[in-house]
Amino acid sequence: MSTFDRRRFIGSGVAAASAAALGAPLRVFAQSGEIVIGAAPPITGVFAFAGAGLHAGLGDWVEWKNAQGGIAGRKLRYVAEDSSYKVDQSVAIFKKIVAQHKPPVFYGDSTGWAKAIAPEVSQLGSLLATGPSFSSDLADPAKAPYYFMPGPTYSGQIEILLEHASRSAAGATKPSVAFVYSDTEFGRDPIAAGKAKAAKLGIPVVLEIITKPGAVDVSAEMIKLRRAKPDFVIFHGYVLAPIPEFIRQMREAGLSSRGMGTIYSMDKTTIDQMGAVGAGFLGVMPYRYSFDSQKTATMELIREVGSRKPGNPWQTTFYTQGWLVGMIFDQVIGRTLSAKKELTGPNMKAALESINKWDTGGIFGVPISLKSHAIPVGRTYLVTGKSIEPASDWITIG
Amino acid sequence: MDWLLLAEFSIVGLLSGGVLALIALGFVLVYKGTRVVNFAMGEFMMVGAYLFWTTHVFLNLPWWVALALTLVGIALLGAVVERFVLRPLAGQPVISIVMATIGLGAVLHGVAEAVWGGANLSLPQLLPRTPFMLGEILVPGQVLWSFALAVALIAGFTAYFHYSKGGVSMRAAASDPVTAYAMGIDVRGTQRRTWIFAGVTGAVAGVIVASMTSLSPTLGTVALGVLAVIILGGLDSIAGAIVAGLIVGWLESITVAFVGGQARDLVPYLVVLVILMVRPYGLFGTRDIERL
Amino acid sequence: MRIGDFHASYRHDEALFDTRVQRAWFAVLVVALLAFPFVGGAYFVYLACLLGIHLISAAGLNIMTGYTGLISLGHAAFMGVGCYTVAVAERAGIPFYLALPLAGCASAVIGLVVGVPSLRIKGLYFAVATLAAQFVLGFVFREWESVTGGVRGANVPAASLFGFELAGDQRIYFLIVPLAVVMLLGARNLFRTRVGRAFIAIRDRDISAEVLGISLFHYKLLAFAIGSFYAGVAGGLWGYFFRVATPELFGLPLSVFYLAAIIVGGLGSILGTILGATFMTMVPELLRAMVGWAQALGVQDASVFLASIRQVVFGLLIVGFLIFEPHGLAEMWRRVRRFFHLWPFRT
Repeated sequence: MSTFDRRRFIGSGVAAASAAALGAPLRVFAQSGEIVIGAAPPITGVFAFAGAGLHAGLGDWVEWKNAQGGIAGRKLRYVAEDSSYKVDQSVAIFKKIVAQHKPPVFYGDSTGWAKAIAPEVSQLGSLLATGPSFSSDLADPAKAPYYFMPGPTYSGQIEILLEHASRSAAGATKPSVAFVYSDTEFGRDPIAAGKAKAAKLGIPVVLEIITKPGAVDVSAEMIKLRRAKPDFVIFHGYVLAPIPEFIRQMREAGLSSRGMGTIYSMDKTTIDQMGAVGAGFLGVMPYRYSFDSQKTATMELIREVGSRKPGNPWQTTFYTQGWLVGMIFDQVIGRTLSAKKELTGPNMKAALESINKWDTGGIFGVPISLKSHAIPVGRTYLVTGKSIEPASDWITIG
Repeated sequence: MDWLLLAEFSIVGLLSGGVLALIALGFVLVYKGTRVVNFAMGEFMMVGAYLFWTTHVFLNLPWWVALALTLVGIALLGAVVERFVLRPLAGQPVISIVMATIGLGAVLHGVAEAVWGGANLSLPQLLPRTPFMLGEILVPGQVLWSFALAVALIAGFTAYFHYSKGGVSMRAAASDPVTAYAMGIDVRGTQRRTWIFAGVTGAVAGVIVASMTSLSPTLGTVALGVLAVIILGGLDSIAGAIVAGLIVGWLESITVAFVGGQARDLVPYLVVLVILMVRPYGLFGTRDIERL
Repeated sequence: MRIGDFHASYRHDEALFDTRVQRAWFAVLVVALLAFPFVGGAYFVYLACLLGIHLISAAGLNIMTGYTGLISLGHAAFMGVGCYTVAVAERAGIPFYLALPLAGCASAVIGLVVGVPSLRIKGLYFAVATLAAQFVLGFVFREWESVTGGVRGANVPAASLFGFELAGDQRIYFLIVPLAVVMLLGARNLFRTRVGRAFIAIRDRDISAEVLGISLFHYKLLAFAIGSFYAGVAGGLWGYFFRVATPELFGLPLSVFYLAAIIVGGLGSILGTILGATFMTMVPELLRAMVGWAQALGVQDASVFLASIRQVVFGLLIVGFLIFEPHGLAEMWRRVRRFFHLWPFRT
């Protein structure tokens, strides 16, 4: 006797149960007039150190903005769910929030997510997406018209580092550089552009090391590094490990190479974990640090609002980034609404591209414009024994 | 051919293989004692390293106290796992046991992530770091000392199995449980002890790996490569585990030298595929004879 | 109590639907499935599509592992092969109705390549061989940039039927769900044939099967190839559904997910496949809902634990079912059915 006649029971039973279980509490639609800001930040998982700050920053900005009366008189609602830095989860969360709340803006979790939802975003034509990814693939208004990034691309960041390396050479000989990066999209993205820029500056790239992301035994790679003797080692595509181990082993092998890092290696919490070996590490950070000696309006506001909640990671650059994303949303939505236009993709894209010489109140040291849907501004910093000091002025690339 | 370079890579590779051999020992112990391949070995390593972090870094206890507490904790975990997960599944087909250990691994992974978070933690440097110079060749201190530690532990275990009553009874129970029962050996007890030893081995290996790299819930993935290692050596041979660990450590280093870091993790699996085609029971394993 | 259900011929005995009542129910199911995307919410349609993909893949795995006894830890990699094949095929302009079978065949071929050396060994060793295949294929996905796009992944355009684009969950539903029904029926039918019975014989006692004249190697290879074909088709559908193929999507965790699905559902039964895949797809949703309620009730930061809770529940489900209900949900269902069949007599 076959079992097919039971299929319907099971199928309808499961469907009914899940409909009952899920339908009821989650079918909460945004009240009319409310603007929903959707997000799928990586609050847990390998990117948790950043995701928690991003989530807190954006959420707190929404609260603050509502206390100020919202955007053009409309209140905001922040709907976010943890994606654990997994693309299938962030895509699922995106679809769910879009289906239920129809947000005009969305903050995701990775390059993979951005690419996966790009076709749907184009088809919907009703939202603008952003996320913590600074991949140059996404800073392309032709290929990704409804995506923007709140900072310079990884290629741009490496360009800033290479410029710094080039300028640091006293004499005529250019310093040599080695690239150490992880075998992920995050890691590989800027390397080709970085090598091209190094060639243009006349900087020899003496070694390229690719490792697995995260903790890995670097003894074998060190053998190559020891022979190459680069002046600078640019690390990219890592959260923290294995940068400290590389630097420690470099010192033990007698190498005096300086380490350099990109945005996600340069938060103070990460630098602190490096301990003593971090001294002398250089990096690029697009935003002002919360402990910067120069007091600015927005950073003071962040301090005031963020420190109200105990345990809030307001000091991290990720919180700053989340806050900045909120401010950009404010600009985009505000400009669209004040031009009496609907919150559609093309309208918001136009509003985004109209942001020119905008003063962020201190997050960036110079007024910014959105070029190619990215903000090509940053500053190099030097890690000293005590703190992270600026090592250059604010640089605008390109 | 830069012989010096090759020599340096080879030596570093062989020495790094020491820790792999230690992990392999954990796998082989469990297989010899209970005919189960423990897919959760990586998670045992990870939990051991986290326990050590908690006692040493978080509670600031001196390292030998922390280590002792860690080993006690892992021993407890091993005993609990044996009693509540493996014993009810005794006699079940292979797929059930494999999946049970995989499921156990997932539970441990989830608990670790919930308790300690997903971020990377650092363990302080436990092994002396001063590099060792062999002429022109630089051997990182940690690699050398981890090898020495692994050798010491493996030697200790081998001595235990050959010369102590407990060890001999474990071997007896593993090879023929019925006769062992008849001789009055507590077979259940030896199985429990097998799991405890495997857990302890894994914990020590985990602490070593974590102090050389960093600590996160994904620490356990290195154990999957080691699983490939023991296939090479033979699932039930301790000597095979050691040899295979060294070989794979050497191969990984050579791969980094001539191919690149991205292929490094692939090496154990390629080795497995080759070995399975040529000598499925490994270099030193005993051939399984199936009877109807 | 069921009475009056007599079989008068072999054909009748073997039939998948042998009573008019069953056929009626099946017709109702078909109608319900056709109507669902118009009445269900957008998110449920998304879940239904995802479930369809999981069903096809789990069916393939069940054919390999549940019915033939070949433990495969590399199922996700074969799905990846299918997904990338579809990406490449679409780039070459091949429409979906050719690309999907092509994806299945590509996976089947890779399955043969992996199977030929591995199927001479059994059980655990074979499982480790499939694990090795998983990692080797993962490496190929990451490094073969010219074909797979490397770590960037490959974008997959929407499936289009003579210009009509199957973009959006509602439309792709009508590709995925009918295909899932057809393939499940096919799998069920497979085990009415000689080939299917050979698979079952190999699982139960392969030495005896060989004595009876079943060529072990050939049938095992066939089982592996069929299972990989299903995986390839499921992977291809995944490509059309998610529109992107990246190496991380097809890693070991996904393989373990499918193994868990068939174990929880019940090895060696298509009903088990359906129950298991549905259960494993719904559990994360239920957990998310529970976390949502917990957060609404004031438990702060409950969502932070969702990821870990999901892992723990996943592992506990596997271990729990293995210890307490080794034949899975299908067996639980059969017990309930038996109770009602035999009522008012005792089971």
